[in-house]
Amino acid sequence: MQLKETPQGLLIYMTMVAFLLAATLLKTRHKPLGRGFWFAGFVFATVSVVYRGLDTGHPPMQNLFEFFLCMAAFLWPLAQVSRYQTGADTDFQDALLGLVILFPAGFVFSAEPRMLPPALQSPLFIPHVGSYVAAYIILARSAFMALPLFKCAGPLAADDPRYGEFARADAVSRQTAAMGFVLMTIGLFLGSIWGKICWGHYWQWDPKEMWSLATWFMYAAYFHFRLRNGLRHPFPLALLLWLGFLFVVLTLTWINVSRLFSGMHTYA
Amino acid sequence: MRMKRFLNNVLSLSVAMWLCIFLSLGSIALACLGATRAGDWMARLPNLVGVGLLALALAITGTRALFRKRVDSAFFHLGSAVIMAGWLAGQIALRTATPENPAKGLMALIDGDMSDQLYEGPRLQTLVGRVPFTVKLEKFSVERYPSKDPGYEAPVREYSSRVVIQERNKPSRVENIRVNHPAIVAGFYIYQMSWGQSYDRWGQPVNYTVLQFKRDPGLYAVYTGFGLLFVGAFWFAARCFHLKRGGAACS
Repeated sequence: MQLKETPQGLLIYMTMVAFLLAATLLKTRHKPLGRGFWFAGFVFATVSVVYRGLDTGHPPMQNLFEFFLCMAAFLWPLAQVSRYQTGADTDFQDALLGLVILFPAGFVFSAEPRMLPPALQSPLFIPHVGSYVAAYIILARSAFMALPLFKCAGPLAADDPRYGEFARADAVSRQTAAMGFVLMTIGLFLGSIWGKICWGHYWQWDPKEMWSLATWFMYAAYFHFRLRNGLRHPFPLALLLWLGFLFVVLTLTWINVSRLFSGMHTYA
Repeated sequence: MRMKRFLNNVLSLSVAMWLCIFLSLGSIALACLGATRAGDWMARLPNLVGVGLLALALAITGTRALFRKRVDSAFFHLGSAVIMAGWLAGQIALRTATPENPAKGLMALIDGDMSDQLYEGPRLQTLVGRVPFTVKLEKFSVERYPSKDPGYEAPVREYSSRVVIQERNKPSRVENIRVNHPAIVAGFYIYQMSWGQSYDRWGQPVNYTVLQFKRDPGLYAVYTGFGLLFVGAFWFAARCFHLKRGGAACS
């Protein structure tokens, strides 16, 4: 735990305050004001990312601190796209998610700028990392959208009074997960091309690669389960989405810092 | 008829789901092993056979999906099968490599050196074979970031090897090999892998460069497979979003 007494830190804390106000106001009668703060948070987060990029002189996606800053800035636009596509109003959850994402960036991760090593100097840097940033944000949102499905422990009958609610939660979480799955596939593909150009092989069995693959397979399992069972078993659907999300969280935190999983992706 | 029932049972959605979970947990197990040991373990013959069978199952699933007009599923599973087939082709190339036709190896050079020999091992002591062309190092250079305070060496910004490549019966050509910019010669990718400092026979410090050579006949199959996989994933997601407009998508 450490306060960042820099312009960078100030920007992060301003974003966090905006997200907090947004989440609070969105639960009261002042919804438009809450939306305003939600957007203001996005503006601060974007300024924060741009400032970081100018400060270090390279795309701010090198270490965990920068990755989390990017995630916070990606949140608002992705939420808007998803809202347009699924019609789900998740501003409150998204503002809270932004707060959670920025917490480690604001208080835990070191913001020490590092020079870009030769391996990261590639045009594939931004697309590869960017698609994973977007994918992880979207998958996190998908997991939160699936939360109501946990309420149905047994098989779901078609005449159940809560059927409509479950069907809605299932539809939006599945659409969101599908979007994240596509972005993960892009990230994997770009990563394999970059790996071939940079390290000599498209697949290195690197721990982080393996965890990303495990995440990818978990979502593949989710889609197979959904195709097999439809909405008959809502609980396992939510469980699989949360397992996938757990893998995302582990990939972002434990795998990055643990000695056990050190490998070629250790830049953080 | 019996074959069809057998396939229906073996390639069912629940089998696929459990297989996905199994592969997911297997990936985590391999992550715990570390990259080198995981790669070595996967290169063992029983695992190659296993990957081959998995590729076959995926190819059959993809073909069946194609006949059932499930185009996204077809792209997805055929793409996965093609990736695995490409990976297997690369592994077979590694297994069938000979000293006359090596598949991978390293070459350490100092300025002015010329070689066609590839080595391996921690001290590059084992000769692997010869590539069908010669590489002469004209100049190896290291560029650093501007140092912020004197006495402190700034991190390396770039290092590169300018080499002259001489293929048989061809005019020689100059290539500048650096990280993220490999050269491609006669089917081999040549990478700037690392560098270090040593002493020449007069005791003067010299920089040496380490180049990595790789030949992979399955590479383009893997890229094609990834392309198919991506089209499949995209198609599937696009179908999911037709839900609002009244389609029975995604199910």
